[in-house]
Amino acid sequence: MNKPVWLSERVQWIGAFDPDMRSFDVILKTPNGTTYNAYLVRGSEGVAVIDTVKAECADQFFARLEAVCTYAEITTIVLNHLEPDHTGALPELMRRAPQARLYISQSAQLMLKALLNRRDLDFTAVSTGDNVSLGDRNLRFLHTPYLHWPDTQCTYLEEECILFSGDVFGCHFCDERLFNDKVGDFRFAFEYYYARIMRPFREHVMKALTLIDPLPINMIAPTHGPILRDQPTRYLQRYRELSGQRLHKELNAGEKTLIIFYISAYGSTTRMAQAIRDGAEQVAGVRVSLYDMEGGDADLFIDLVEDADGILIGSPTINGDAAKPLWDLLSAFSMVNVRGKLAGAFGSYGWSGEAVQMLEGRMRGLKMRVPLDGVRVKLIPSAEELELCVQHGRTVGEHLTGSNAPRVIDMADLLASRQPEVESNATLTRE
Amino acid sequence: MAKAKVTFSDVNVTVNVPVGTRIIELSEAVGSYIAYNCREGDCGVCLFEVIKGRENLSELSDQEKTVLRAHFQEIMDGWRAIGDLDKLQARMQRENFIGKHCRLACQTQVFGDVIVAPL
Ligand code: FES
Ligand SMILES: [Fe+2]
Ligand SMILES: [Fe+2]
Repeated sequence: MNKPVWLSERVQWIGAFDPDMRSFDVILKTPNGTTYNAYLVRGSEGVAVIDTVKAECADQFFARLEAVCTYAEITTIVLNHLEPDHTGALPELMRRAPQARLYISQSAQLMLKALLNRRDLDFTAVSTGDNVSLGDRNLRFLHTPYLHWPDTQCTYLEEECILFSGDVFGCHFCDERLFNDKVGDFRFAFEYYYARIMRPFREHVMKALTLIDPLPINMIAPTHGPILRDQPTRYLQRYRELSGQRLHKELNAGEKTLIIFYISAYGSTTRMAQAIRDGAEQVAGVRVSLYDMEGGDADLFIDLVEDADGILIGSPTINGDAAKPLWDLLSAFSMVNVRGKLAGAFGSYGWSGEAVQMLEGRMRGLKMRVPLDGVRVKLIPSAEELELCVQHGRTVGEHLTGSNAPRVIDMADLLASRQPEVESNATLTRE
Repeated sequence: MAKAKVTFSDVNVTVNVPVGTRIIELSEAVGSYIAYNCREGDCGVCLFEVIKGRENLSELSDQEKTVLRAHFQEIMDGWRAIGDLDKLQARMQRENFIGKHCRLACQTQVFGDVIVAPL
């Protein structure tokens, strides 16, 4: 029980298995559990512990550690990422090995102080180019922030070409055989972890790959899931594919994309959506796509959402609320980075039209920009109202291309238009 | 009542406001990408850039100064993923940003015409 696993003569896995975990941080399903990977590197003049495990699994970690070294031998503790699943056992480790020097990334400093709540804390903040020597083994640091926290970094063992990567290249998959050439098929877990954890940070993934690319890699040792020793560079390649720009974007550089998602009960919101599309398409350099969410599943559209410059959502108001498929769509938005994208809502209603403002509120909450009030139409849109939808589409398109006419508005009018209407009149409300 | 004009350059909107209005009372409503969180001058999320008319803004309070300083430090440390971080850090190294070009939207009141933008 609780035996360490040898990666090489001088490097051991001293992490923990957590086979019963079924969901991680609420958002991730982990159908066969996970592992917290920590490692020990022995040099001629020192021993380094790289990352720890979550507090509940500390016993496993210390048992494995004690099987390969004494606490007095530890000279160095490296933290690639401060999230509690990797620092839970840190305070106890520091208590048992008080002489060990702590190495963290520049951006981890504030967080470490908050995490440990200690004033007298001593550590070394490192970045790309910094090294720590263990005698005949040397660790080199790579500054790879936002994978998936600001503090993340990777550590590279020069003499053995092992990359201790932290969460990046990891996955939630618990198999005691531990190496990628031994464990069961974990491709699903690998892709799922990327999609849920790393994808919003894909630009940072690309930057990190630029740092990693020049290094010869024998093994990637992440903090969760299998250790990648068989064809490790294939996993780097996969990350590059997943994080790279998609074809559409490359082919249409300079073009702004607007996506209109909608649901319609009796066709009114559909007609509004079409009119808004017609208006937006009149603006040069704007490409519009229209999707009826009755025919689609939120997950299918996430790629589009990620690449879009603007997103409009149309919903009728049903029982005082927007239609459920649209809420599902919005909740999937958190899988990608939507910050700063232009957003808006529209829809028809029977006697109250709250849906539009509810959708706008949610999109503001996702830090999208909502520069225009949505269009609402009572019951069936008249020809005049459809013409207003066309105009609205045009204004949205102009906002996307930055060609919108300057607008001057009085503060009172601006704020009045944000108040939810109590009893709506039959007229169209518009900015 | 005396009036002032606040222009949000990222959305090309100018709002006529009574003097004394805080930037944050307008920024979300016009759809500008000036973010906010606490609204109380604590979190520093509402940093924005003054493009023109900084003499027409309320004086910096000590609290605003402290929060600005702390949050510039966070930007320098790479803690905040805003826009083009590298560019912003380089700019901050060149200029003394505090209170000059950058203010907190939830603290800053307007007393004359200004042009503002998100960072
Ligand atoms: S919103 Fe927090 S400081 Fe302004
Ligand atoms: Fe993490
Ligand atoms: Fe983790």
